[in-house]
Amino acid sequence: MLTLNEKKIESRVFTSFFQGGFIEAFMGIFLLQLGLPVIFSRSGFGDMQSALFVLPIALILLAVIFLVRRFVVIPRLGRVKFLPERRRRLSKLIIVPILTLIASAIVGYILNENASMRNIFIGQIPFSLSPIIVFGAAAYFLDMKRLYIYGAIVGLIMPLGKYLETIIVSRDILPGTILFTAFVFFGIATVFFVAFLKKYHVTKV
Amino acid sequence: MENREATDSISEVMNIDRLVHSPARLAILTYLSVVEEGDAVYLLNQTGLTWGNLSANVTRLQEAGYIEVNKEFKDKKPHTLLKLTDRGRKAFHDYQGKMDALLHIKKSKSK
Repeated sequence: MLTLNEKKIESRVFTSFFQGGFIEAFMGIFLLQLGLPVIFSRSGFGDMQSALFVLPIALILLAVIFLVRRFVVIPRLGRVKFLPERRRRLSKLIIVPILTLIASAIVGYILNENASMRNIFIGQIPFSLSPIIVFGAAAYFLDMKRLYIYGAIVGLIMPLGKYLETIIVSRDILPGTILFTAFVFFGIATVFFVAFLKKYHVTKV
Repeated sequence: MENREATDSISEVMNIDRLVHSPARLAILTYLSVVEEGDAVYLLNQTGLTWGNLSANVTRLQEAGYIEVNKEFKDKKPHTLLKLTDRGRKAFHDYQGKMDALLHIKKSKSK
């Protein structure tokens, strides 16, 4: 059982292991996976085909993140096994996306069934609320406050893109907004990663 | 009554574990108390100690039975893992308790 100050130190130690822009890179990949299928499907490919095109890109990028973390970041930060309390806290985080996915599917189904609710913005509710809830839960369970902001950004992207499409009549606006945000996240990730490399060096012990 | 409490706490502090009281060792114990186990690089980064200083203090803590040092091979490279023992955890919490009691009395007296 940890005392209050130890909890703060543990939380600081835990969050220090997410340095190097990995959260931002992950956000970029997440948005890329949202934006690219929209472009493909609007270019005439089926929804399933579009998703299948994007999947290998996302998997390659995730593999790159994993390898960089394994061979560049961890040797610089050191290896740590966190306490069972932290591991239990992380396991609770897995439940949230599953419940959110189920809830979104139900809400999406209800909205689709009721023609009166088929509004351009109401239809975005599941898309907006899901990331806010999932990233909000991640921010809470991982003790990373910036994830609240990232969740809000991701949640607002879809309605913003749809809104911009109504004023600027172009079908590229929605995927453009999503991809632009994805590249902003990749940019932030790069800055964080370079800063990390400058701060930490491999220590021979 | 309050004076007696203060005297008790001060005499408790006189019996404080000097092995834990050193800033470097206190930092090592603190950072090991919040994880199950960690390696030397983790401690170097978190405590800001030099390798020589860390090594000397780890040896003293290990000799006292406060930490456990396990050497293993990871990717064919030697890797040292450090872990707080039950004895070390108890010593660390006793130290915290004594310091808390002293500082708490000092604070309430200064109010």
